[in-house]
Amino acid sequence: MTVALEAPFPVPSRLAMMMAALGPIAIGGILATRAGALTPIVAAPAIVFGVVAATAPALYIATAAAGHAPRLSVAARAFGVALGAFGIALAGLILPAAFLAMSSVSAMTTIVATTGALAGAAHLGLRRLARELDVGATVVGVLVFVTWSVATAGIAGRLWWDLAVEVVS
Amino acid sequence: MNAAIDARIDARIDATFEPSAQPALGVIDLLLRDRAAILARIRAGTGVPALLRAMIGTIAVTMTIVGAALGSYRGGIQIAYAAIKLPLVLLGTAALSAPALSAIGAALGRRSRLAADITLVMAALAFGSLLLVACTPLIMLGREMDLEYHRMILATVVMFSIAGVAALRVIWRAVALEAAPGWRTAIAGMCAVFALVGGQLSWALRPYLVRPRAPEAPFVRAVEGSLFDSISDELDSARGIYTRDSAPLPDVRQ
Repeated sequence: MTVALEAPFPVPSRLAMMMAALGPIAIGGILATRAGALTPIVAAPAIVFGVVAATAPALYIATAAAGHAPRLSVAARAFGVALGAFGIALAGLILPAAFLAMSSVSAMTTIVATTGALAGAAHLGLRRLARELDVGATVVGVLVFVTWSVATAGIAGRLWWDLAVEVVS
Repeated sequence: MNAAIDARIDARIDATFEPSAQPALGVIDLLLRDRAAILARIRAGTGVPALLRAMIGTIAVTMTIVGAALGSYRGGIQIAYAAIKLPLVLLGTAALSAPALSAIGAALGRRSRLAADITLVMAALAFGSLLLVACTPLIMLGREMDLEYHRMILATVVMFSIAGVAALRVIWRAVALEAAPGWRTAIAGMCAVFALVGGQLSWALRPYLVRPRAPEAPFVRAVEGSLFDSISDELDSARGIYTRDSAPLPDVRQ
């Protein structure tokens, strides 16, 4: 498995990582405003970073076992770039999500808007990770990555949805 | 060949952006006749603030005219209400949605520049607004012919759809020229955000087109239901399927 080493973003990487850290807090804040509870502000970043931290080793192990893993440092850099991409994308989606949530009387609109923003940013982060790891080079690489992506998104999505429904109900 | 075209575009831009030229009218003329020149200017990043001001002004003026035309279907205070609200909807939606184009593109590796992307979106919307203002005589014709309310709404939707597609084409053409990674995703993402935000904002600030016999013309209506429920009801009403006994009538004074 070869790895692309291009300049990752048109913004400094440190800023991108800051966006990745603050973005989920902001999304949690939108939900917290609707629910009148502070839990989502803490839970949103915990879900994002917790699930990625918990499942990232699985991707490395699976690709290594399949004979396609890059060096550990390169894989770590790829995850950093993907998280940065997630943060930048989320930064562009926070304002529309906040507007949609605040201008509606329906709590479900808030859940759908915040979930949509997180899902969209996560999708772009995963696409960026796939490119950084060059998973498209082999069929096995694609299979491993798709399986890992579905599992990771499924876990994070379920945790987020359960949290959102619980706090607004 | 390309160099010759670039030289022609540069000469045209230089002439348009001369201090002696009338900036706003010159830019509008360029937008209508030679959008490649406008897109080249945005891509080069020169004269962007002046361009942005001209585009915002164009949208504000044209949508005020379109809003007034729509408001004239009922007449009275609704002319002023719609003329105020329609530019707010378009400019507000653009302000909320344009950063998504930059952010999604940047996440995928596009060399995004927020100011240039906002100007691009405003230029595209200004072009769409100009097409809409060109449709104003059709709106006035519908009013003069006493076109039935639901048909008038559908006619308005058709006009706005045509303008929207034309505006999208401008953005598509500009971003496609960059051939950056993820440009299609960036456009698709921005369109999705624009549709959702625009739908919600226009819904929140409705009504624009009010029945002539409506007793009152509120500046905005109370928040109720959802946009998608309303679209479904409107299609049913246009087919003669009504969910209520009658439309509101003026109070009968003794």
